[in-house]
Amino acid sequence: MTESDLHLDVDLDEDFEPEDLEGPRPVATPGDPVLVVDDLHIVYRVFGGKAKQVAAKGADNVHEAKAPKRSLLRRLVSSTSQHVGAVSEVHAVRGISFVARHGESIGIVGINGSGKSTLLRAVTGLIPPHSGGVYVAGEPALLGVNAALMPQLSGERNIWIGGLALGLTPKQVEERFDEVVDFADIGDFVYMPMKTYSSGMGARLRFAISSAATPDILMIDEALATGDAAFKARSKARIDEVRKNAGTIFLVSHSISTVEAMCTRVLWVHQGQLVMDGGTEEVLAEYRKFVRAHRQANSSGRAGGVGPRARRKKKPQQV
Amino acid sequence: MSTDTTTGAAPGDRGSPDAERDPLAPPAPIVPDTSSSERRALAEQFGLQQMGVRPPLGKYIRDVASRWAFIRVLGTATAYSKNQNNYLGQLWAVLNPILNATVYVLIFGVLLQASRGVENSIAFITIGTFLFRFFEQSVHAGSRSIAQKTNLIRSLHFPRAVLPIAQVVSLLTTLVPALLVMCAIVLLSGLLPKYAMVHVTWSWLLLPGIIALLWVFNTGVAFIVARAVAITPDLDNVIGFVLRLVMYGSGVIFPVTHYVDNLPEGVQAIAGPILEYQPIGVFLYVARSILTQEPSFPQDPWMWVWAAGWAVVAFVVGFIIFWRGEERYGRD
Repeated sequence: MTESDLHLDVDLDEDFEPEDLEGPRPVATPGDPVLVVDDLHIVYRVFGGKAKQVAAKGADNVHEAKAPKRSLLRRLVSSTSQHVGAVSEVHAVRGISFVARHGESIGIVGINGSGKSTLLRAVTGLIPPHSGGVYVAGEPALLGVNAALMPQLSGERNIWIGGLALGLTPKQVEERFDEVVDFADIGDFVYMPMKTYSSGMGARLRFAISSAATPDILMIDEALATGDAAFKARSKARIDEVRKNAGTIFLVSHSISTVEAMCTRVLWVHQGQLVMDGGTEEVLAEYRKFVRAHRQANSSGRAGGVGPRARRKKKPQQV
Repeated sequence: MSTDTTTGAAPGDRGSPDAERDPLAPPAPIVPDTSSSERRALAEQFGLQQMGVRPPLGKYIRDVASRWAFIRVLGTATAYSKNQNNYLGQLWAVLNPILNATVYVLIFGVLLQASRGVENSIAFITIGTFLFRFFEQSVHAGSRSIAQKTNLIRSLHFPRAVLPIAQVVSLLTTLVPALLVMCAIVLLSGLLPKYAMVHVTWSWLLLPGIIALLWVFNTGVAFIVARAVAITPDLDNVIGFVLRLVMYGSGVIFPVTHYVDNLPEGVQAIAGPILEYQPIGVFLYVARSILTQEPSFPQDPWMWVWAAGWAVVAFVVGFIIFWRGEERYGRD
């Protein structure tokens, strides 16, 4: 499998069921800034990674960790073996800056591994920045189907844990309990352990839980990617509803048509850097071109060709 | 319909389609048209708060306190889920400590006779193992509370101190039924011919008090190990050995202070007080003094003072240590 195969799992889907997402595209009415991202860097520490090998394969945002103080012992050990003290760092977000305003719906696009989800989580404040800063008004919340709950417990307990973790009071959780169960459409399965759920049921319940609270800034991570057509329509309606109250939303999705239908502004992230920021049509047109070019290169046997040429251009250009 | 990134600045050339560009390469990264200080000033102008920074201690304490319902639900749910996957279910919460105590009673009490000088070694070892188990499990649970909940941390906002607290609460919920069994074993052991009688006295009412202090102490220690292991995962491997050292050094299964007498004079002067007044030793002393009538464990109010002191110190120091790392959890 080539590198480009791995990276190009992007849903171009011009034939995406548009009826699920119909309705007028939101119109931007930019107001006051509600979110300022200032030169954000996110660095993950990865244990057991073999930085030298990965870096040699051309991923220039992975490098060996330079611990501030490396003892003689540590250096001896790491020079002799990749299995002891093998710590590498993944520089997932490399200096991103932007300002989001009240009323904007911002889509974040990029190929797999470009740092979209990390950026979203960092903007929500869930992953502390390595350097730089994120400034927000109010409390942003992440709405997603990936919110990790406790699979060994029943859906009922998970609704409680999720609701309370979102900051709801026990009374509010009780009030919204039935609503969550209805929305997730899981019926009596709510009393069974979540690990017995089908993946669709689990995703629906997680989405229902995470949308139980209405935040000031809403972050959506691939929420529309799961579920059948009926659930997609329902979650679109729910997001619209939340958006009316939330004011500002961020959406990460592989489905270009979802971004097109929901967003007024698009950020294109590539290898942890912001390469384009502008109106939906303008950015998505360029992004489509980019993805198509890669597809063609792939299928016409130039698979390996993404390598050196493209990579030379991707060299970190310090912002 | 490009949306301005910054106030008053022209969109500039960023994002403009470049016909000459290789279609396989993405556009060059945007150079922002505002400086870092301008952006920070903008954030300040509109009263935006910085994310991912540690809140002040007072606010943090209020945040944690307001999440008490979350702590309780998470704690009981964790406790429940632990014993869910077997036929006997929640019964294991009681059976486990009993089996644990049985092993030590058989080996150290009956076979090795290590508890010489104690009138009822079954009661002695049972109290020791039940209470030490609570401490041991709190440390283990605390050490994993951050590392194993990375997904939860990266998905939801809440003060991270909730996690170690909930872990210890979860152990407390399983400890309560186990303590009833412990008391029953202690009483019944007195009926055996070779073991001294144990009487129920007014001092048994003090048991919830020492358990509460131990709970506070355990939570404090859980805070410390939670941060240590979150930052340096390697320490997780060391904790088991340290705990075993603490177990043998605290007189959990034999009266360690008796063995000090065999040491040379100089060592005795140092080791004696340390072994006597170190926290686990103190908690076990108090528990044994209120539940049994061992002559070597008379009631001693000063030991209560020591226990309360250790609990408060561990909790306050642990909480502050944990809070100081707040902004780092979830990054690694």
